[in-house]
Amino acid sequence: MTYPGEHLTIGQIGNIFTVIAFAASFMSMVAYFLADRKNDDTYLRLGRISFLAHSLAVIGMVATLFIMIFNQYFEYHYVWQHSNTDMPMKYIFSCFWEGIEGSFMIWTFWHVILGLILFKSVKGWEAPVLSVISAVQFFMLSMLLGSVIFGHKFGSNPFTMLLREHPDFSNLPIFENVNYTDAIDGRGLNPLLQNYWMVIHPPFVLFGYATAIVPFAYAIAGLLRGKYIEWVKPALSWTFFGIGVLGIGVLMGGAWAYESLSFGGFWAWDPVENASLVPWLTMVGAGHLMLIQRKKGVSVLSLFFLTTITFCLVQYASFLTKSGVLGETSVHSFTDLGMTGQLAVSLIFFCVLSIVLIAINYKRFPTHEKEESITSREFWMFVSSLILLVAAFIISFSTSFPVINKLFGTNLATTGERIDYYNQWITPFAIITSLLLAIGQYLKYTKNDMRSFWKNISISAGLSTIIAVASAIAMEMRNPIYIALLFTSLLATTANTHYWLLFLKGKMKSASASIAHIGFGLLLLGVLISTTESEVISTNSSLYDISVLGEDFSNNENILLMQNDTLIMGDFFVSYRGKRAEDNFIHYEVEYMQPNESGELEKQFTLYPYLQLNPRMGNVAEPYTKHYLHKDIYTHISYAELEDKSEDAILEEHSVGLGDTIFTKTSFMVFDSLDRTPQKRFGGLTENDLAIGAHFTLFDVNTKAHQLEPLFVLRNREFSMTVPDSIPDLGIKISFDGIDPENESFKFRILEEAPKFNDFIVMKAIVFPGINILWLGCIVMGLGSFLSVWQRIRRK
Amino acid sequence: MKKSHIALIIVIAVLIGAMITAINDSSSYANFAEAFANPTDEFHVVGQLNREKEMIYDPLTNPDEFVFYMYDINNEEHKVVLHKSKPQDFERSEQIVLIGQAQGDAFHANEILMKCPSKYTEGEVTAKAESNS
Repeated sequence: MTYPGEHLTIGQIGNIFTVIAFAASFMSMVAYFLADRKNDDTYLRLGRISFLAHSLAVIGMVATLFIMIFNQYFEYHYVWQHSNTDMPMKYIFSCFWEGIEGSFMIWTFWHVILGLILFKSVKGWEAPVLSVISAVQFFMLSMLLGSVIFGHKFGSNPFTMLLREHPDFSNLPIFENVNYTDAIDGRGLNPLLQNYWMVIHPPFVLFGYATAIVPFAYAIAGLLRGKYIEWVKPALSWTFFGIGVLGIGVLMGGAWAYESLSFGGFWAWDPVENASLVPWLTMVGAGHLMLIQRKKGVSVLSLFFLTTITFCLVQYASFLTKSGVLGETSVHSFTDLGMTGQLAVSLIFFCVLSIVLIAINYKRFPTHEKEESITSREFWMFVSSLILLVAAFIISFSTSFPVINKLFGTNLATTGERIDYYNQWITPFAIITSLLLAIGQYLKYTKNDMRSFWKNISISAGLSTIIAVASAIAMEMRNPIYIALLFTSLLATTANTHYWLLFLKGKMKSASASIAHIGFGLLLLGVLISTTESEVISTNSSLYDISVLGEDFSNNENILLMQNDTLIMGDFFVSYRGKRAEDNFIHYEVEYMQPNESGELEKQFTLYPYLQLNPRMGNVAEPYTKHYLHKDIYTHISYAELEDKSEDAILEEHSVGLGDTIFTKTSFMVFDSLDRTPQKRFGGLTENDLAIGAHFTLFDVNTKAHQLEPLFVLRNREFSMTVPDSIPDLGIKISFDGIDPENESFKFRILEEAPKFNDFIVMKAIVFPGINILWLGCIVMGLGSFLSVWQRIRRK
Repeated sequence: MKKSHIALIIVIAVLIGAMITAINDSSSYANFAEAFANPTDEFHVVGQLNREKEMIYDPLTNPDEFVFYMYDINNEEHKVVLHKSKPQDFERSEQIVLIGQAQGDAFHANEILMKCPSKYTEGEVTAKAESNS
């Protein structure tokens, strides 16, 4: 059977690129390695050619997949799985990296870009550095092969066809149509990823991950060549570049979570988030050790350890997210594609390689005899790096519970209060780090006169104390640990600003460290304020007291809003005005009001939190946030009734006399008169018809009066018919069914729809004060990191 | 002894301390039987929703309470009181992880994690929507 609509060539091209990329990475690894060992130009040339071929093939793979998604070739499994015709074009990039294959591809792409830059600039280190990069690429491309070798399937190929290479699908009726390609549609992108942050966050984080390869490659090259110190100089700028990129990438993830996930904050200590933060911490540690090495010399062992562990932790992050080992503990890990073993092998390979190379060379490491003075900058920088390592370890340990459980058969789990649990653990580290950040600046390398140190620091310490005390009082902050962090993060900010302005005269030339540290101080400050001072204002307004169940159960955090009711919520009065459906979104209009001087409620702003409906992936609530300079008001829907659940209508028959009252569920009506000439109400009446109207006055729950006049008609005085009357707003319809002359009673049928209580939403609202300090800190820190790279490049 | 060695020893001490505390602080995966045997401890209980029985969510009375029945992995069924609003798409959940503790005849959960069949549905291919064909 042939299917004329299929685009077969492009898949074959993709596969050819994959095979070339895989084979060339192996060639390049071996050739470069031999070139370094044997110092042979032939091997060097072979390595270069292979690496170039590899690079072109990887770029070709990316281009091929991109073209497939762009043209919506749903006959390909990856395209089918991650996109559909409904999806706006702007999310085409999100489709690309939604799957494991795509994210691996983009990662290898960044490695190639970095490799090509190094290719040009590496001078003298080309062979070993590119050999290491090729080795990493070799492992990564094996994850994209998707071929069966010795009965074991290696990797998952992104260019497979739905019909042929996925036997589960081949029996489906749609494939009986030779032109099935015209009819098929994709499954579509996960609604959580249909967000602009998801367009930029994944490639940024992956780029950050990718940058870890450069210092790692230099470190391994240094170990291979026995040059234990020389590698640091070229690796240094790359490390700080990585710190900037990965740091921003990680916080972009936070921004995505804050803007479009409804878990109520920018950081949830989700395993995937932790996995990306941990290598950043060790990378910062490694970068600072490199700085000490350049200035004064440092323990070579610690330098190698932190540099290689950073890369291994990146691999570990990839293992955690892609192997499916996290399972139910994480909201956003990938599902298992059967690559767990392969990912583990890759991870173990690089860990073992690092350990073995360090162990073999350990005896030959230059000893660093000179004792650092306790008053020197390098000593405290060293201590800071160790502290970052410890913090990284602690976060990793709890994050790794699922892995530990698998390995040792235990059943550990982090507590339900995961966010509190981690915050509590990490706060002491944040305090010490920010304190050292402030102290370090005033200390010179080697030796210091402590008197001038105390004099210098006293200015910023005094200033920070005043601000800290004032703001702690203003925010009613009582917890001493938080007050300590408030003080130290302020100190880090002021001390570095002070140092930059006073000692560096505000010059940009050597400002990078100060700026990065100011950013870090602000970041911590923003985290502290927005986390500890955030307040759930949407407390339960119902009479039901949830706290009788026990202290643990007082998490009243949702408010029920009936349409058009106005409730008090924090400093605001809120009212739910209605909803609007647009494509697959339902926007809920929530008005925030505050009383003005004359006591009237005045509209402040309107928020539109929404639900994204997705029948296949599930519905997703997305928040909507009002941004002020000093605080954010964040609102999301916790629950909303999606179907109109009006129950069956109630039909009741009544026989009443003139002047009687009929009660319905929500109203009562008085049968006040008979109208014998009701022609006006019914234009279809003819002269032969006999019509009688029964006039009712109906009072609704608000005692508002409505008029009703159903008619009883005898057409041609022979057969009867009824002309009902109704009040649609109340859901009441009344028919005049007949007259019983003997009893002088009249028969009516009343159809009443079940009292449809108004539309409502259950909503959560949180105030995040000072969150802009956090974002500002992030940007400033990123700028500082990039500035340091730029300065180093310029100095060359 | 060098100062960096002292620093290293402190670091290792902190690490060991942290590991022990982390393990002590952790809760653990369990079934209902264990959870009800130790009503003061927090547990993670994995299970499946009982679709036969009613689910009670009455936001008018309390938007932060949702009651349903769940089978654990040993097929033991218990009433569950979730102290949160009813999660979106709850009916579609394939697997539920509850975090909380037993109290009286019900398991009271403060947190819930759900696995939905969303990610990968083999053997299901849809045709294009009408408007696109």
